[in-house]
Amino acid sequence: MTATAAISVRDLRKAYGPNEVLRGVSFDVAPNEVLCVIGPSGSGKSTMLKCLNLLERPTGGSVVVAGVTLTDPKADVDAARTKIGMVFQHFNLFGHLDVLSNVTLALRHVRKLGRAEAEEIAHAQLARLGLAHLARHRPANLSGGQQQRVAIARSLAMSPEVMLFDEATSALDPELVKDVLAVMRELAGTGMTMVVVTHEMGFAQEVADRVIFMDGGLIAEDGGAREVLGDPSSPRLREFLSQVL
Amino acid sequence: MNDFLHTFFDWSEITGILPSLLTEGLRNTLLIAVLAILFGLAVGVLLAMLLLSRRRLVRLPARIYVDVFRGLPAIVTVSLIGLGLPAAGVRPFGRSPLGYAVIAVGLISAAYCAEIFRSGIQSVPPGQMQAGRSLGMSYLTTMRLVIVPQGVRNVLPALTGQFIVDVKESSLVYLLGLGAGQRELYFIAQEQQAASYNASALVAAGLCYLVITIPLTYLVNWLDRRMREGRPARTAGGAADPGAPPDGAGAGAGGAVGAGVDGKAEGALLTARDGGEGRA
Repeated sequence: MTATAAISVRDLRKAYGPNEVLRGVSFDVAPNEVLCVIGPSGSGKSTMLKCLNLLERPTGGSVVVAGVTLTDPKADVDAARTKIGMVFQHFNLFGHLDVLSNVTLALRHVRKLGRAEAEEIAHAQLARLGLAHLARHRPANLSGGQQQRVAIARSLAMSPEVMLFDEATSALDPELVKDVLAVMRELAGTGMTMVVVTHEMGFAQEVADRVIFMDGGLIAEDGGAREVLGDPSSPRLREFLSQVL
Repeated sequence: MNDFLHTFFDWSEITGILPSLLTEGLRNTLLIAVLAILFGLAVGVLLAMLLLSRRRLVRLPARIYVDVFRGLPAIVTVSLIGLGLPAAGVRPFGRSPLGYAVIAVGLISAAYCAEIFRSGIQSVPPGQMQAGRSLGMSYLTTMRLVIVPQGVRNVLPALTGQFIVDVKESSLVYLLGLGAGQRELYFIAQEQQAASYNASALVAAGLCYLVITIPLTYLVNWLDRRMREGRPARTAGGAADPGAPPDGAGAGAGGAVGAGVDGKAEGALLTARDGGEGRA
């Protein structure tokens, strides 16, 4: 493990009763690195991602993110989560709040900023993602692509050191996928450390520095995007790629 | 037929009793009902949170409370509180029976509200809690700012039903005996009926109850619509957006309620996990 890794995962295990979903996963993510995680459904990708901010509690192993050992029982997980942004498959915008309040909620109640200051940050984030005109809309009145971009703005407003994307485009209509991918590509360009669980092989090929292929709760392949996707060594990955490409 | 009309709809009986119904009765009925509703809501939210706890020892007292107060006839609870407590020397409200009625009706209401809130909270998709926690908000902060506001919205119609029950149960204060100025709608009407052996005063009181309960239903429905759609200014803004489906708000809200059914187990799991971390 390198001391400078943004994320360091060792022998990560997660079981629901007798059902082992993660069976010893280890990897590091360097600062500014974009890591894409691919694999068939049920391979443990999403569970692994949710262990990185402890939305899922690992049953074994260690997770260190942004310098905090999350798996240490004494760790201040809430504080650590402010440094770890997460974007969900189903957006999970707060349905009772308008777009602006979705972005300001954590700024005000976690960062304890005043309304004016929080709204200034939120407006800047929304403008950056081309959403300024939607500030007073309710999530239910937005398209999926708009909702997902608001969700990204909500995460970015907390100035995270790491961003986690959990199949961020899987619930979107095909024509809306590219808007969200464009935002993610731009974010990667700014040097954000990202872990992206995705089925978008084109995105992985183009944006990822590294690709992990998960299968049956284990990392089956781990390497540069070009090697893993361009020259898969295992038959299992070849089979997977032939199905999704 | 004439007897029937005379017994229930004697005009002079009604006009005779109406002034005291409207001045004294309506005021005291509303006083008891409103305070009992507020008491029930506050205690109900608290109980709902306890009912959702992962810890059995936290859940158990709340469960027992809810089962007892939902299981007892209201008349027994009102008697136990209003007649029992003062007799035992517990007299926080002195001799005024109104305070005891508020507590008794409020305690019953809290038990029903707790179950209503619990189902409302569980109807909020588990992703909402995950989103809140992922932003660094604590379990309780997320509950307060994200889950409860949406959960309450999902159960507004059920809460209206409970408010109506509370208004009606306020009449049970008559058991405790009421002095001048303390009488509520039913007590006034029942005194008059006993004196004149004519039911018209009761009909007048009944109409007064309906004047409270029926508009209440429409008020809450209006509130419900308003909260789902957002304030008028915001929906006006929505029309300017080409991507906004005109009926999006309604569909979204319905979806949230539907999603709650299969979201229940997961929601409970998340609660449990957070409890386990000792931050709940």
